[in-house]
Amino acid sequence: MPPSTEPVLAAVDLHKTYGNRIFGKSGGVHAVAGVSLTLKAGETLGIVGESGCGKSTLARMLVGLERPDRGEVTFHGKPFASGRGSIPRDVRRRVQMVFQDPLTSLNPRMTVLEIIAEPLDVHGLAASRQARRAKVGELLELVGLAPELMNRFPHEFSGGQRQRIGIARALATEPEVIVCDEPVSALDMSVQAQVVNLLADLQRTLGVALVFIAHDLAVVRHVSHRVGVMYLGRMAELGPAAEVYGTPAHPYTKALLSAAPIPRPQARHRERVILAGDPPSPVDPPSGCRFRTRCHQAQDLCAEQAPELTGPHAHLAACHFSVPAA
Amino acid sequence: MAKPAPATSDERAPAALEVRDLKVTFNTSTGAVPAVRGVDLVIRPGETLALLGESGSGKSVTARAIMGLHDQPHVDVRMERAMVGGRDLLAMTPENRRLLRGSAMTMVFQDALSALNPVLTIGDQIGELFRVHRGASRKEARERAVDLLELVGIPAARDRVRDYPHQFSGGMRQRILIAMAVALEPALLIADEPTTALDVTVQAQILRLIDRLRRELGTAVLLITHDLGVAAEVADRIAVMYAGRIVETSPVEDLYDRPAHPYTEALLAAIPDLDRPSSELLAIPGTPPRPGAVGAGCAFAPRCTRSTEICADRLPALTPLVGHPHRTAACHHTEEVLHAAVN
Repeated sequence: MPPSTEPVLAAVDLHKTYGNRIFGKSGGVHAVAGVSLTLKAGETLGIVGESGCGKSTLARMLVGLERPDRGEVTFHGKPFASGRGSIPRDVRRRVQMVFQDPLTSLNPRMTVLEIIAEPLDVHGLAASRQARRAKVGELLELVGLAPELMNRFPHEFSGGQRQRIGIARALATEPEVIVCDEPVSALDMSVQAQVVNLLADLQRTLGVALVFIAHDLAVVRHVSHRVGVMYLGRMAELGPAAEVYGTPAHPYTKALLSAAPIPRPQARHRERVILAGDPPSPVDPPSGCRFRTRCHQAQDLCAEQAPELTGPHAHLAACHFSVPAA
Repeated sequence: MAKPAPATSDERAPAALEVRDLKVTFNTSTGAVPAVRGVDLVIRPGETLALLGESGSGKSVTARAIMGLHDQPHVDVRMERAMVGGRDLLAMTPENRRLLRGSAMTMVFQDALSALNPVLTIGDQIGELFRVHRGASRKEARERAVDLLELVGIPAARDRVRDYPHQFSGGMRQRILIAMAVALEPALLIADEPTTALDVTVQAQILRLIDRLRRELGTAVLLITHDLGVAAEVADRIAVMYAGRIVETSPVEDLYDRPAHPYTEALLAAIPDLDRPSSELLAIPGTPPRPGAVGAGCAFAPRCTRSTEICADRLPALTPLVGHPHRTAACHHTEEVLHAAVN
């Protein structure tokens, strides 16, 4: 199904700071500091970034597991996840999540049947015991597992199979959006491709919109229609995958792409931008542009003023000196 | 990594590492688990060999066995031959072998924070090497520690020797481990997934650092990795491991252009390439076998598209490829695989 134009899920100026109540005003971790994005039906939005850039916090806010301090998330235009009220039931049903570690996100004392049927029970989606069983069997087949396995426990499965169970559980409520937080990083490389292909197939057949969060640039490019690059809690660049990877506009994206190892020895002697140092701590982020401390283009303006995420078309970058792609 | 085109290895010099027929078996309460089942490794001085494999393939066990870190009652380590920098490990007393660790052969671990002592300053930990192995004085040891931190690119080294591990970032800690590993100019440096815990921008720095030190000091590097990209960036040669055995060895260019083993071929087709996005990845069916649950034949046969009857019955030996003097593969259908790569 081609991506439509109406956004299913939208985030507006999300902020999340952890720990500021305990450590006083200055000690908080500014995990996400002003991120906006939209997700259209049937689309895959990839989010890449290094550890500590806030991509997992963003994921948790998008599904309502975490309340933003500021800003709001809307589902079909209706805001949720702001204020004190509980997340509406239809939003919880239609926005699901797949976690990184399939072993710790599955209850070891529940069988696969119980794990996958739990969301069915919560939302009253199975009329009878037979219907419940049949539905779980269907879901297992959908993710490429034999329905006979439904009475087994998570520890009896391999990593890739466990991740399939996690995906089946997310699909149980017929979601419109699945947020996948590093869904393949815990898997062996020979198994990663199975899960990546499964997610791509499910999207084609079910038309579900995906937010695919990962640190592996090649995997994100492979699955995504659009890609967002995060750095220290902010979106550095956001645009169609081919443009972000082909003609990156933000110096951080350029550095990230150039640092990624390429599985072709001939590519060894390519021109590379190697960044100095590590990403700064999100406890005390740099003023202005957060990337300026590692940026070779940084000037005085970058320390004074945080750049807006702007661009000529759908391809946006947050840099004072980004050159818009022709 | 940028590096002069010809490999700096010398064919005539004694190998920095030579291991023949390494077998490691863990005796557990549920039976013997053969984690490594006959591994040969030769690395020349100044050469980087990447040992590539998935989790459970036995690559880390191999590295730890060479270092002698498996000398425990429930682990059975056997080798036909084990030479490091011309010295025979098998003819040595355990005490003499212990003295080689940290001087002639050193190791860099994946998790730098747990590899460093949290209650000693960095200066004391690096200095300890010189005090123990070289009998240096406290003052000399401190001076050498500062030099080493500068060598691996830690800013304000003279001040930072007094800091503790938690005061450094992940990338800095890995640099410190590398500094300790090259401190006594070892013949062999084993790096076990040195960049797996690091971000991609920091990974590039660390790989570049290891490569620079290898060139400058002529150290042989055994790089343990699961990442085909990392191996392609720094290795001179690659050995691919699967289920406790090496299934293919090759100079790096040939391996990626013309894999000789179906497992290597399948891996290369299963990973997305940043520069060549394609619509479908060719996934490998099934999962790697558990160590100990491997049959008599080829361990990859159940997942292999080329497997025939012989693969289930007879274990293929690692044999030189006809017409490719520096390559070996353990497959009954190597010719087919090589042929497919050309077409």
